[in-house]
Amino acid sequence: MIGVLLVGFAGIGEQDHQSAMYLPAWLAQPDARVVGVVPTGAADRATAQKVAAELDVPIHDDLDAALRHDAVELVSVAAPMDRRVDVVSAALRAGKHVLADKPLAATLDEVEEIAAAQGDSLLVPALHQRLAAPLVSARAALAAGRVGLPWNVQVDFLVAGGTPSPSGELLNLGVYPVDVLHALLGLDAIRVYARRGRYWNDVADDFVTLLIDYANGVTGTIVLGRTASLDGVAPAGLARHRYRISGSHGVLDVDATKPALRVRTLDATSPGPASTSVTTLIAQTCRAVADGGTAPVGIDDARHVHQVVDAANRSLASARPEPVAPGGDAR
Amino acid sequence: MFRIGAETISRMSTVGILVVGAGFIADAHIRAITGESRAELAGVVDVDPGRARAFAYANGNARYGTELAEALTWPDVDAVIVCTPNHTHVPIALQVAAAGKHLLVEKPLATTVAGARQVVDAFAAANLVVAAAHTHRSYDYGLAVRSMIDSGAIGDPVAARLSILGGWIWPDWRAWVLDPDRSGGHSLHNGVHLLDLVTWWLRDAPVRVYARGRNQTAGELRIYDYLEMTVEYARGGTAVCEMSRAHRPGSFGYRDLLIAGTAGVIEQGWDGESSLLFTEQGLQTVPSAGGDGFARQLAAWLDSLDGAPPRMSPADAVQAVALGVASELSIARGEPVELAEVLGDQVVPA
Repeated sequence: MIGVLLVGFAGIGEQDHQSAMYLPAWLAQPDARVVGVVPTGAADRATAQKVAAELDVPIHDDLDAALRHDAVELVSVAAPMDRRVDVVSAALRAGKHVLADKPLAATLDEVEEIAAAQGDSLLVPALHQRLAAPLVSARAALAAGRVGLPWNVQVDFLVAGGTPSPSGELLNLGVYPVDVLHALLGLDAIRVYARRGRYWNDVADDFVTLLIDYANGVTGTIVLGRTASLDGVAPAGLARHRYRISGSHGVLDVDATKPALRVRTLDATSPGPASTSVTTLIAQTCRAVADGGTAPVGIDDARHVHQVVDAANRSLASARPEPVAPGGDAR
Repeated sequence: MFRIGAETISRMSTVGILVVGAGFIADAHIRAITGESRAELAGVVDVDPGRARAFAYANGNARYGTELAEALTWPDVDAVIVCTPNHTHVPIALQVAAAGKHLLVEKPLATTVAGARQVVDAFAAANLVVAAAHTHRSYDYGLAVRSMIDSGAIGDPVAARLSILGGWIWPDWRAWVLDPDRSGGHSLHNGVHLLDLVTWWLRDAPVRVYARGRNQTAGELRIYDYLEMTVEYARGGTAVCEMSRAHRPGSFGYRDLLIAGTAGVIEQGWDGESSLLFTEQGLQTVPSAGGDGFARQLAAWLDSLDGAPPRMSPADAVQAVALGVASELSIARGEPVELAEVLGDQVVPA
């Protein structure tokens, strides 16, 4: 049984990814047991108290003291962005495995700081969309050569409604499709041209187009954003989550909102159950902890995502394509 | 009322149309003429006498010839539809304008911005109608999207995606289309369809193009069989357009669109207009009959001869050429290209 310490009940802005995403998946996992909770500040203390009471587990105010408990084997981190690098690094330095909310950090430098603290622990950034059932199958189909040599990928990742990210959707929603493409292609991005806009909220940019050149001459395009709420799409649900992978011998068209039921009632429509990719991520993480195996997502994946985001931010400033690796070839 | 040259007279008869260039696309225009009570075929010209004759015989023993100058003097020729290779559009158009005939010319209007402007100026000076055949504005889906946007249903349209991929885009890999000196390159030949359509949908002024092209099928190709063209607009909107003959299998026929607005989303999937046919040969689509884009385009052009506003203005035809030129330039440079650069300092005529 893996003892899990929940640290932080936050996300980006107003979100609480611990309660909304990770806690239900931990509770559904027969190999794991929540052994304590730690709030990261005044903002999430009430939530931490409520969760501690519901689960009948202790609440700790001192993170370092909580990390010293032998019962804690893994730390589920959903700390606010300004605390995330410190919390994740402290847990790793204490020798604990970590499942960390995405994005792993606010900057590439912070990702490197976390990498330096990792030691022998598992660090699993919650880039869970790559584990959505249709995308796992897509990856297997590509590996089986069913489209031949891939040369282009087109992606739409549109969320309808929900809480906008105050720091923009590139670092929030954008990390998912960037990571999925990395996983599907098995190739590093080398050059990025990015454009963005703000259309559906007053907070920050909510629409981004990423035009990415990958190794081996593969091109990829990601259209991502958070639109207004749409009829028939659950709040913060994916209105469009599609990947079209073109290869030398075929085309794979993936609608990653499948498998989903389409439900229509007298007064509402619903896409039905969403993807269970978070549950899959946590199940595979537990297996890796138990077996000493490899995590389904790791620090190298998070580093690559942040390198792409970093290049995209430079491109937004320069209005030109920018190299992904510092000092790399922009052509 | 019906305008001939600078004069406006009461329409006494149908509009006699001379078809120039008797290739594959001329058949689509002929079908439109056949179904249009206001138009009739007045003759056909092709540099290949055999092809001109065969086309004429197939279409009611129409008058035919190989000399455009002579054909423009034939009786009953009121207007001209040009279906020749792209690099010939400008000299032919100028000849048509000089003869005082209206013109519907296959897209692109020209392969250079300067050529496009020359044509538009010549027709404006002669008080004649010129239109480029951007047929997708007349297809069901093109009109339906524009009409939905005009209704305000999705608020302000801010982003578009349009993909047209398929083996039907050219059957013959030796055709003139694959010679960039004659077609102007794929951005000018087929790319302009998408570049114009998304710009018409978004109702905004394009300012920048970033395009990536591939010689996917073979390194020997002289035009890009795959194009991805991203257009940025004055108010911040973005459109991603894909045009491809590179996809495999060659039986692949795929059109997909997405328009996001401030208050909603429009989508049509690859099978959005089709029934699905499962046979021993696999899965095929059976497209719905829908509206005939060429017939609608012809009707709108005939309306404009009567003084109605055109479905696509000459200025938009010049802009489409500029977008295509910018796309080819962007691919060559690997950098975004400002539309102002390819338009120069000159303002597009209204």
